[in-house]
Amino acid sequence: MGERMSVTHDEVRRIARLAELEVSEDALPLLAEQMSRILEYVAQINSVPASEAVKPFVPGPDAVRFRADEVKPAPLAFGPAELAPAFRDGFFLVPKLGQFEQEEG
Amino acid sequence: MASAKAAADRIVKLKRLNACLTPIKELRKSLAVQASTAHPSGVLYGMPVAVKDNICTLEYTTSCGSKILEGYRSPYEATAVAKLKAAGALIAGKTNCDEFGMGSSTEHSAYGRSFHPFDKTRVPGGSSGGSAALVASGAVPAALGSETGGSVRQPASLCGVVGIKPTYGRVSRYGIVAYASSLDQAGPFATTVADTALLLEAMWGHDPCDSTSIPSEPEPVLARLEEGVAGLRVGVVEELTDVEGIQPAVRAAVDSARNLFEKAGAEVDTVSVPSVEYGLSAYYIIAPAEASSNLARYDGVRYGLRAPAAEVATMNALTREAGFGAEVKRRIMLGTYALSAGYYDAYYGQAQRVRTLIIRDFSRAYERFDVLLAPTSPTTAFELGAKTSDPLAMYLSDVCTIPTNLTGATAISVPAGLDAAGLPIGVQVLAPALGEAVLLRAARSLEAGFAFTARPTLGEAA
Repeated sequence: MGERMSVTHDEVRRIARLAELEVSEDALPLLAEQMSRILEYVAQINSVPASEAVKPFVPGPDAVRFRADEVKPAPLAFGPAELAPAFRDGFFLVPKLGQFEQEEG
Repeated sequence: MASAKAAADRIVKLKRLNACLTPIKELRKSLAVQASTAHPSGVLYGMPVAVKDNICTLEYTTSCGSKILEGYRSPYEATAVAKLKAAGALIAGKTNCDEFGMGSSTEHSAYGRSFHPFDKTRVPGGSSGGSAALVASGAVPAALGSETGGSVRQPASLCGVVGIKPTYGRVSRYGIVAYASSLDQAGPFATTVADTALLLEAMWGHDPCDSTSIPSEPEPVLARLEEGVAGLRVGVVEELTDVEGIQPAVRAAVDSARNLFEKAGAEVDTVSVPSVEYGLSAYYIIAPAEASSNLARYDGVRYGLRAPAAEVATMNALTREAGFGAEVKRRIMLGTYALSAGYYDAYYGQAQRVRTLIIRDFSRAYERFDVLLAPTSPTTAFELGAKTSDPLAMYLSDVCTIPTNLTGATAISVPAGLDAAGLPIGVQVLAPALGEAVLLRAARSLEAGFAFTARPTLGEAA
């Protein structure tokens, strides 16, 4: 996978969209270079003889224990109205849902 | 209560460290209230404990060193904090840290960098650098930090204090702001192994609010501290002791620790844990991957910062752009990349396989040894700015601590002396999961042998 390791500017833009980050054009070259260097370094794990026989680590049943399926109200010192950037009548307020609403409209 | 006022006075005196984020008026007021309501029967009665800013408290804001949570007040407190308070401790402010725990120097905080208590031109380590600096300088007798890749042990080592990473699941993660949930664990700092054990016993145990909390109750550790190491089998981890770029003084401190163990009656030999060489790479895939998912919650909707925009997707992106610092964005990007279609198995899948191998290699080592010995950090405190422009160089300072986070086991850093520049050196003892009793006993033996006493003089240091 070595030859395709360098992260292109287009890839940075695509990843930024997936990550919901606004990366400016000015910041692109440095970020692409840093990501490439880090990814080239961490790619050394591919030289580990971790064959198909080695199971990936997954937090299994021992790690994640099922709890009784009960609704237990978490005691909060105050409610979401005091935390949210915009809140009214029990709802979090957001701006319009962009494309989705335009399609409907 | 005198201890509360004295702690506040010392924190004021040490303002230049930029280690405490809580405004002093607020700190004094809260300490006075807490002192009047603290449990007199508790084992920590009246002990001021500073808390890392990514651990939720009702007394103070919890910003995680990030602009996106500036001024955020949590409506609940972390179980670890509640337990400390129940034992009589006073929460003495919130400490500076790398944003969301992402860093090794406390330079990646939206509230300015913290400074090393011995030398103002150097970093205190990180990400729990503020907690380590406050304990090292004597402002507070103990503090809470959290670890994802060594963020308690590395700053403890750099500042000359004791810091422990408990077994994953021993200390509740409830109320500790998530960075990488399969690795995160809170741990205390103190100047002695006994104080560290005291805090640990006060804060650990099963918590139904954390699904990964271990249901069994931990065994007492404090009572067994002085049992010594006669007959204990100690393995010196070759790959971590001969790690690239290790400072000769750090290497020498590990040799001294080895000699101290032998003198105290332990059987010491070297051991190879081959896959730890890949620990750093696996970590810098797994941790960013989990971070990219955990930090998706900061979207400007429910709490925290919101950047105004006409529609929601733009609002999300602008909020995150304005609220996150460069290192957090870099890790979110790396994690998103590692989890994206076409790369998932080569990066994340392979990293999880390597994690399995590291766990297997350590299990093999523990068939022959009770505890392991290694440096905590390859170097002593580095200069401010030395690694901020080179993320990879910064990541490399976690190389010796990361394996324990990947395995979910426990490890502790103990001060082992000073280098030629007068900076503290730490050595690390590692034990298998749930091995805190033997870990602390071995650490206590080393502490007695090294008899480390160096502290910056209050008000005069640096």
